[in-house]
Parts: sequence; structure tokens; C-alpha cells
Amino acid sequence: MGLEMDPLLHALSYFRRRKFQLCSDLCSQLLEKEPGDQAAWCLKMRALTEMVYVDEIDVDQEGIAEMMLDENAIAQVARPGTSLKAPGTGQGAGPSQAIRPLTQTGRPLTGFVRPSTQAGRPGSIEQAIKTPRTAHTARPMTSASGRYVRLGTASMLTNPDGPFINVSKLNLNNYAQKPKLAKTLFEYIFHHESDVKNALDLAAYATQHAQFKDWWWKVQIGKCYYRLGLYREAETQFKSALRQQDMVDTILYLAKVYSRLDQPLTALNVFKQGLEQFPGEVSLLCGMARIHEEMNNISAAAECYKDVLKQDNTHVEAIACIASNHFYSDQPEIALRFYRRLLQMGIYNSQLFNNLGLCCFYAQQYDMILSSFERALSLAESEEEAADVWYNLGHVAVGIGDTNLAYQCFKLTLANNNDHAESYNNLAVLEMQKGHIEQARVFLQTASSIAPHMYEPHFNFAVLSEKVGDLQRSYIAAQKSKETFPEHVDTQQLIKQLKQHFARV
Amino acid sequence: MAAAASSAPSSGSAGDGTRATSKWLDAHYDPVANLHTFSSCVTLADLHGDGDYKLVVGNFGSTGHEMKLKVYQGTSLLSENTLPDLPTSVVSFLMEQHEPRMPALAVASGPYIYVYKNLRPYFKFTLPPMEPNPMEKVVWEQAKEDKVDLLSMKEMLEAIRENAEMPLSVQSLRFLTLDPPEMDSFVNQHKSQPIKRQTVMTCMATLKKNRVDEDAISCLVIGTENMEILILDPEAFTILSKVTIPSVPTFLDVAGQFDVEYRLTVACRNGSIYILRRDSKRPKYCIELSAQAVGLVRIQKNIIVACSDETLRGYTQKGKKLWGVTLPATPITLGIMDEKFQSFQAVLVALANLEVHIYRDKNLVNVIQVPDIVTSISFGHYGREDNTLIMTTKGGGLIIKILKRTSTFHKGDTAVGVPVAQSIKLSVPKKTKLYVDQTLRERESGVAMHQVFQTDLSRIRLMAARAYVRALECSMTPVSESLQEPLKLNAVVQGMGPTFKLCLNLQNMSENRAVANLLICFVYDENRYSIERPFFKAPMLIPGLNYPLATFVECLGDQGISDIIKVFVLSEGNSRPLLTAHISMPVSEGLAAA
Repeated sequence: MGLEMDPLLHALSYFRRRKFQLCSDLCSQLLEKEPGDQAAWCLKMRALTEMVYVDEIDVDQEGIAEMMLDENAIAQVARPGTSLKAPGTGQGAGPSQAIRPLTQTGRPLTGFVRPSTQAGRPGSIEQAIKTPRTAHTARPMTSASGRYVRLGTASMLTNPDGPFINVSKLNLNNYAQKPKLAKTLFEYIFHHESDVKNALDLAAYATQHAQFKDWWWKVQIGKCYYRLGLYREAETQFKSALRQQDMVDTILYLAKVYSRLDQPLTALNVFKQGLEQFPGEVSLLCGMARIHEEMNNISAAAECYKDVLKQDNTHVEAIACIASNHFYSDQPEIALRFYRRLLQMGIYNSQLFNNLGLCCFYAQQYDMILSSFERALSLAESEEEAADVWYNLGHVAVGIGDTNLAYQCFKLTLANNNDHAESYNNLAVLEMQKGHIEQARVFLQTASSIAPHMYEPHFNFAVLSEKVGDLQRSYIAAQKSKETFPEHVDTQQLIKQLKQHFARV
Repeated sequence: MAAAASSAPSSGSAGDGTRATSKWLDAHYDPVANLHTFSSCVTLADLHGDGDYKLVVGNFGSTGHEMKLKVYQGTSLLSENTLPDLPTSVVSFLMEQHEPRMPALAVASGPYIYVYKNLRPYFKFTLPPMEPNPMEKVVWEQAKEDKVDLLSMKEMLEAIRENAEMPLSVQSLRFLTLDPPEMDSFVNQHKSQPIKRQTVMTCMATLKKNRVDEDAISCLVIGTENMEILILDPEAFTILSKVTIPSVPTFLDVAGQFDVEYRLTVACRNGSIYILRRDSKRPKYCIELSAQAVGLVRIQKNIIVACSDETLRGYTQKGKKLWGVTLPATPITLGIMDEKFQSFQAVLVALANLEVHIYRDKNLVNVIQVPDIVTSISFGHYGREDNTLIMTTKGGGLIIKILKRTSTFHKGDTAVGVPVAQSIKLSVPKKTKLYVDQTLRERESGVAMHQVFQTDLSRIRLMAARAYVRALECSMTPVSESLQEPLKLNAVVQGMGPTFKLCLNLQNMSENRAVANLLICFVYDENRYSIERPFFKAPMLIPGLNYPLATFVECLGDQGISDIIKVFVLSEGNSRPLLTAHISMPVSEGLAAA
């Protein structure tokens, strides 16, 4: 037997090596021996917190209730370019809807999947409660509340005999007077227990005890207010914290508050001021880029992402977003370079190979296309991912004129993902070419009911009806297509043609 | 004169009707004047012979029941006469040579023309009755002598209506609409009266009798529903001339004098314009429009017509097309603008996009923005002002604008120089160096690339075919392939949980075969979910209709874990499913409340 390590040091070492479960177990043993050991108690709290810790800044999903019953929204009709709720009203930079597909909420597809870009704000309750299950269009609305619940129950799951600390029995005022202990306790209550109310109480006592001079507590109070939905109060706390101490974190929180209040321009200003203090800070630049992207200002977003890459050339989000931007602005060869860079960085997943295959196809590098897709298929983790790969293979098949293969691919997309509106639409076009009018019509109706944000099914339906001679239906469908994509020239022409038909004797 | 020069540049900017550069003075706007009328029922007339022109409007009322003849002086209502029926046209004309020259008003309404003098009813002219159908006459004769029962009478009348060329009288038509219990009293009430057939007027205009002067006696020209044009003597109200045309007239324009030579231009309901001359029994020229005419005016010797296909066209007197322009919106009504001082004549076109465009020939010379859709438009003397534009709107408003004396209109073509579209640059992305490098690679190793692609393609085809067959074998696709039952299924989950609504949309895609005896079955983890109806029978599916079948799913347990629910569509007596759908359920958010 060698030298026995001091158990506390051993636990600390486990903690440093991020073996939190072992660390927590060891601390429990220590605490059994000596229940009053503050160091062990503190370490165990930290270990438990770290186990479930989620970065508050990045992970942000609005629940249905928050989206639909938002009482902070004052102006229902915001001025163009000032609101996140009306995307597309800003500067019309970037490619049109015909080239870059939109998500359900009317934003262009982003190159990087993150919670906030996907949830969006649905237009109606009906749309909100429907659960779209296509990874491409919009995420399932597993809302904030659902996630917090799972975290909250973490204490019950890990400890079958009850929670480690019974928060309601603690005298928070006492702990607040011990600053070092209080901070750990706060994080434990906030992250592990997800008990925002008690966390807020503790933070309030602590900040009082620190005579309102500790910025850290102010940020924590702000976080609590934010979680409770009291955005204006959170804003004052963050601002006051920023006056005492400039911190990147605080700036990010403040910007988050503003974007939740639907004031993207103010959020951008916050970022800009932050950049004066911390020039070249990647997270700030990235935050700006995201807001630009959400406001449909793709070119400004791309600029920001480029700045990010100047500082940190392995930033995955920036690379992916720039790549997709290049792809949709008709420069697949550059997009290919960026995706290759991601591959070199060690990212090895289905989505990346999917994108590589598409880029190769559009950049005419034919030898690489199919092997990329094959690899993407074998790497696909879920049916949705496989569906997307089949869908793109269908596109390649259409491109080389093999409609039989295309038909099979689109069918396989549907087999993998029942709600793939795009492939319903494409199948309908193939059926239309074969002359199966009735089937094409059914497919188009399905596509438009699954994805009301797409203009293609409506337009195709209009064309189909016009060919059959059903001008009335054609006109109605064309109007719907125009509603979703007013600039679509073909729709405009079709409507004009129909109007001439109607006016004719 | 300096003012005239300063306003000259503004004529170039025909498109912007901004207040600063407007050629019009806003004299009066009453949005609640309650004037609902069309251009044919609006006229400007010097009713008292004192040079103070009044506005005469045949008003339909907002509900189409309170018909009134309204006379405006300035901005106020001067007098109001109730009309017995909806007016179709209102014109003013001189009946006799007495001094002072006080024009009479003629209001065409149904089969009558009501003539007002000095705003008092003066005379009522009735269109001559027409010969009723002899067979119809026989039927009513029999009814009079009670020789025929009601049902056979109805059958006979219906047969006449179907077959005879001559339409039935109003009395018979009314009888055909009645229910059997009401027939008896109706026949008893009407059988003793002789049946009459009466036509109605559709349009009316005036034609100078023998002199060209402003204050010359005019005849009335009317178009009727039975496709005739009649010309009436102004004093005796006898029919001077009668022409039959091939369709029902809708708009009428008259030029010349009755005693010398005249020309009638008639736009008809069949989308054609007919041009007639004195003494011609048939139309001399015919213009076939491809759409319905919305309005017709004549400027000097040219006919200008606006059509429902958003075009404005000009034709010569002989029916030759001169020009055509596309309007930005559907035209509502047309008016003529005859500015005597500068001898400027143009056509006013009220459009559905809240604008009034002024065209001189095919050139747009001015645009007026209006607050509501204009339904009637007239230009001329009003009060003591020479050039007044009077419009009424769809909402019943009255707009009066006065043409500024200093304003001049650009007479030439407004659109000079290259068209705008030529100077727009297309943003074609530049081809990058990378692209060029890649094309080089393609050129160098084209054969190898092609071979690799072809091998890969065969492999992918095989892979796709295998996967496809597997999907078909398991009936994995939401679209069934079988020829007997081409079905389509798609599922939507609604709700936040713990109770979800699962909506299956089942649709039959065959052309004309209904599908029956289908069963729907759910397979799921019973520890996690409970479904209200895990197995039920689908209704018979009619082709082309979408059948939403809903059931409720309750999420059990509080783990916040979601699972897959499988749906099978089966046909009776067959264990292999026709369709399968996998529904990945969302996480139940209802736990937050618990």
C-alpha cells in the first residue's frame, strides 16, 4: 500500500478531473464521518452542480406560453427592421426565398443548429401547439419549462433517499453572511435544484450583506429575474452590475434580455459597447452575428462571423454559417472549402457529410458526391437525419435525370420522416410528370398542410389546377403562394395569366 | 404667366400626385355624402338657365331601396325627389326653344323615362309594350275559363320557357316561382288581366336634333334590354327611329345631329362594340373586344374603351384599333375630360387601386390619388367654375376638385429615353479562383471522375432499391403502393401534454374508387402512454377527401421521456399493414405544472 491521499484532496482531484460522481461519493463518505465539514459539503455541492450545469447564456428556448402570452410585447406591428417577430422586414440582403429555404417562422435556414434559431416565434396558437418533427424546418417545442423540470428532478434521480440539501429548511440569511459558501450554495440551488425563488432570496440577502457592492450577486439576481420572466428587473440588475465591473458574461446576459424583449437593435448596441471594452471578443461577435441572422440580415451576419474567424479560426458555428451562406449565394466551391475545414477539425457527423455531398454536387466535383452521401447515411443517428440525406440524394437523382431513383429516394425520405413536406412536394412534381394528377394533388395538399410556410406546394398546386383547367382553385392556390412569397415572379405571372382568363369573354 | 412656367416641370412627373405639384384644387370632400351611384346617373346641368350649373345625381341609396334624384348646388343639397325605381341613366336635355333655356332632366328607370322640368315631374314616357308569346296567351286564356289545372299549366309554361324563342311575360315567370298553395290565389287574381310583356332600358344618351349649338334641342337615344336602340322626339316623345342590334347595349355614345347625319357607338353585353349610322338598319362596324367593356367615351373621332382585363384601348370610328395600354389595376369607370380653354381633351380612368389616371391618347398625363374607390366620375361646368371634376366613391363620398387655371398638361409622350429595366444591373456572383481551379481539375481528370461517379451511382441505385424494397415490405412508407388501395397517411401531434391530440390524416388517392373496411391500430409502450382508442375502424374513404381521425394520447409517468408510437392501417382480414407511420412524440410539458 502506498501513501493514502488525504480524502478531501482526493475528492478535489476528482473534481478537477471532472469525475463528479466519484467526487460526490467521496464527499458523502467524508460528510458521514464528520457532518459539519464545510469544505466537503461545499465540494459536494459544486460537484453536483457541475454534473447538471448548463450554460445559461447559450441554451435558451422560449416555451409556448412565453411565446404566445408575451405581455412584454407592446407594439404588435413593429417598424421594419426593428423586431425579431417580423423577420424579412429588414434590409433585403441575402438570397431570396427561392434559393435559400425558410424555416417555419419565415427565417432562412441557418448553417448551425442552436436552440434559439430553431424555436422562433410561431404566428398562431394553432401553429405553436402543432409539433413539427422535421429537424430541418423547426425544432420540437420542448420548451424551457420541460428542460428545467428535468434538471430539477436531477436531485431526486441521483439520490434515491432524498435531496442532498433540503433548501426549504436552510436559514438563507445565515448563509448569505458567509460569502464563499453562499456563492456555491446559490449555484447549487439555482442549477441543481432549479429552485429560482429560494435562489433569489439567497442572492437578495447576500447582495444586501455585501452592501450592494458585489457585482457577482447582481448578475445572479438578474439571472433569477430572467428565469422568472421579469425582464425589466433583470435589465436593471445587469446594468448596475456592468457599472461596477465590465464582464463579457454580463453583457451577454443583458443582450439576451433585450432580444427576449424583442429589441434586437438595443441588443446590438449592447454588444457594440461591449466590444469597445473587450475588442475582438468572440462570444460578443458571435452574439451580434446571431441577432443579424435572426433579423434576416444575412450579409451583416456573415461579416460578424468573419470577424469571429479572425479571432478564433476554429469556431465551428462561424465556419458552418459562412459555409452555408456561400452555398446559398451560388458559391458552392467556397462552401466546400469551409466544410472541409470542419472535417479537418475533427467533426465527423452525418450533417457535415450531407453538406459536403451537396457542395460537391453543385460545384461539379462528381467523384465525391455519392461517397459523401453514403458516409452520411451510415453516420445518420436518427431517422430524421437519414431522411435529409435521402432527400438530398433525391435532388442529385433529379439533377442527373434519373426520375426512378429520385422517386425512390423521396419515398424513402417519407419512410424515414413522415412530415417531410419538401419531399411530398417533389414527389408531387414527379407524379405530375407521369400524369398522375390525383396523386400529385393529394401530395401537394399534404405538403401545404404540413408546411404552411412553403410557397412551392401552393405554386405547384396552382400550376397543376391551371393545366387541368380548374382556374378557380388555381387562382386560390396562387394567391396563397403569393402570400408566403410575394416576390416570386412565376406566381405573379400565373396570377396575371389567370386574371386575363377571368376577364376574357 | 410666371406661375404657368413654374408648373410646367411638374407635368413631367405624371406619376406623383403630391399636393405641392398637383394640378387640382381640392374644393370639397364629404366622405359621408351618402351618394351611391355610377357615372351614367351623374350629370351637370344649368337647370335654371342662370349660368349656375348644378350637379344632378340619380342616387341608389346605401341599401338600394332609397332611390332619390338629388341636386347639388355648390357644396350643399338643393333638392331631393324620390324615385319609384332604380335609375339606369340620368341626362339633361333641351326640349324646346323657349327663353330662358332651361334644360329638362330625363331619368331612365325600368321601362319608363321620367322627365322633370324645373325640378318638378313633367312627363312620363313608357316604352311600347311588346307582343306576348301566343302560346303563353293561349295558356292564360284557358286559365281564365278554368279549363286547365294549375300543375299542367305550370308544365306548359315551363315547356314554353324552355323552347320558345320569345321570352315569357313577367306574370308567367312570377307564377313559375310560386309554391303550389300560392298558385291558386295568384291565378285567380291575375287571370282576368291581359298578359303584357315589357322591356327595360339599359342606357340613355342625347342627340342634337338639327343644330350643333350648345343650346340646341336634343333627342333622347335609349338602349333597351330586348336589343334595340330607340330615338325619341323631344317634344312629342314619339319614336323617330328604331334599330335592332345583335346584343344588349350597355354603353352608348352619340355624335352628330339627328336630321343631318349621326353615328351611334354601342358597347354591348357580348363584349362587342357596334357602330351604327343614320339610316343603317344593321350595325356598320363591329369591334370585338376580348373582355367586357367597363366604360366607353369618344374623344373627337376616336373611341376609347376600358376593358375588364385591365386595358385601355383606342379605336377609330371605323373600328380600327389605334393603341392599347395596360392599366395598373382594374378600371372601375371612365369619364371624359374636355377642357375648353386649352382645348385639351383626355380620358379619366378611375382604378381599383385608389387612383384616377388621366390619359391623353395612350399617354398618362396625370394621376390623382383618391381616398376611396371612385364609382362615378364627371368633368365639366359646376357652379360658375368651368373645369370641375366630380367623383363619388364606393363608400358614398363626394369629391369635388377644380382644375387650376395655371396648370397645363404635357401633350407628348411622357416616357422618353431608355426603359428603366435596361439600366438595372443583375447581381451575378463572380466566379472565384477556386472555381477556376476546380474546372481545371475537371478538365484534367474528367474520365476518372466520370468513372468513379458511375460506379458510385450504380452502388447508390442498388442501395436505394434495397432500402426501398425493405420499406415496402414493412409498409413503412406513409403512401401505400398497392393499386387497390392507394392511400396516404400523415400524422400531427398537437398539444403540450400530458394529454396530446393525435390527428391522423388519411386520404384516398385513387381516381374514383372508394375504400372501405379499414382498421387503424396503434402500437405503443403501455407504461408510458395510454391511448383513448388504440384500435378503431376508419370510415369509408371517398377519393380526394381528407379524413382527419383524431384520438387522445395521455402521457403517463413523470420522467419527461418521449417515445415512439406506431400507427398501422390494416385492411380487414389481412394481417399485413397497408401503411405504417412512426410518430415520435414530443416531451410532455404538462409536468411543469405538476
